[in-house]
Amino acid sequence: MTLSTYLRPAAILALALSLAACGGKASFPITGTVSGLTYGGLVITTNGMDLAIPANATSFSFPNSLSYGDVYDITVKTPAAHEDCTTVDPLTGRNTGADTAGRFTSIAVTLTCVVQQHSIGGAVSGLTTDGLVLTNGSAGGTVPIAAAATSYAFPALVPYNVSYGVTVYTQPKDAVCTVANSSGVMGDANITNIDVSCVSTK
Amino acid sequence: MKSLFLRSGAVLACALTLASCGGSNGNLLLGGAVVGVNRDGLVLQNNGGPDLAVVAPYTNFSFPQLIGNDADYNVTIKSSPSNAVCVASNNKGKSSNFDVTNVLIACTINTYDLGGSVSGLTSNGLVLINGADRQTIPAGATTFTMTVDTGNKDSNGKPILTGKVGDGAPYGVTVLTQPANQTCTVGNGTGTMGPAPVTNVQITCI
Repeated sequence: MTLSTYLRPAAILALALSLAACGGKASFPITGTVSGLTYGGLVITTNGMDLAIPANATSFSFPNSLSYGDVYDITVKTPAAHEDCTTVDPLTGRNTGADTAGRFTSIAVTLTCVVQQHSIGGAVSGLTTDGLVLTNGSAGGTVPIAAAATSYAFPALVPYNVSYGVTVYTQPKDAVCTVANSSGVMGDANITNIDVSCVSTK
Repeated sequence: MKSLFLRSGAVLACALTLASCGGSNGNLLLGGAVVGVNRDGLVLQNNGGPDLAVVAPYTNFSFPQLIGNDADYNVTIKSSPSNAVCVASNNKGKSSNFDVTNVLIACTINTYDLGGSVSGLTSNGLVLINGADRQTIPAGATTFTMTVDTGNKDSNGKPILTGKVGDGAPYGVTVLTQPANQTCTVGNGTGTMGPAPVTNVQITCI
């Protein structure tokens, strides 16, 4: 019965108490914030749990918590319609969806979704001179088309469900061009049928 | 005797070096970023000094006159581009030992209504677009603009409008959806916005 017999359990108790005070939690809920989710259908998964996240959600929480030291790695099981979602922080490049529970005091995932964008363009026929410029309204950008071009695409992409309307902003030298299938609303694929036909006026 | 020549030479070299760095004014850059400018006309001054014209691609500026350490600077806008209103921020201060690169000149391009006349429209369903901007035109309309009131208000309580076009920007009006049992065509649909509303786009429906 030495002094150290009393001291040792007391020291262990003190250590356990201090760990608990430092956030040594027993369980870690997998929670996060959602931004930009406009469309439905998204299902994310980790540690054997699937979680459906509805359109316009701003946060999520998986049903079961993890224990200290559990590894998690959230992946997209079913993509949202018309959108790409990622747990990689767009500013820092850090994957907020994969780590070990307890490395931080809590799990805080950032899920960022952006609407998919596709290109618009088409075929060009009869163009033998320079100077043709097409525009997609005021905000969709312009594209110059050189003589002898047989196809084109606007450098600026168009998001899903946004309208596009292509017109001739500047006619080429000594020719008049017209645009077929000029207007529409972006779907889920590149638009390649906005065809331009040019006729010489010389 | 030898050291006298050397010393004079050293003083001369020193003076020349200073002169090439912008005289006795210092050796720090004074500049920053420019946003919202798409044409010439933005002229800046520091402490009311020489004019600095901001040139294409209109994204940043730096005064050719260097400033010294602990120098007071005050960048002001002498003139804005003809199509924009510009405001300076982070533009007053005292330099330390580093280049000043955080002056911001933020310009807002003036926007105007894009519209015109409608004739012969007797049924509903006509949707006009200017690229991403949409406008529904009801039966019986005789005029239109692409401007849409979103119903939301900005921080100053002013209605948030979409569909206006910036001075100098291209526009191209097309038909997205034809009205029921009618076909509409667009005349004068493409052009460049000037410093006034466009009212000559012609929608003709048969």
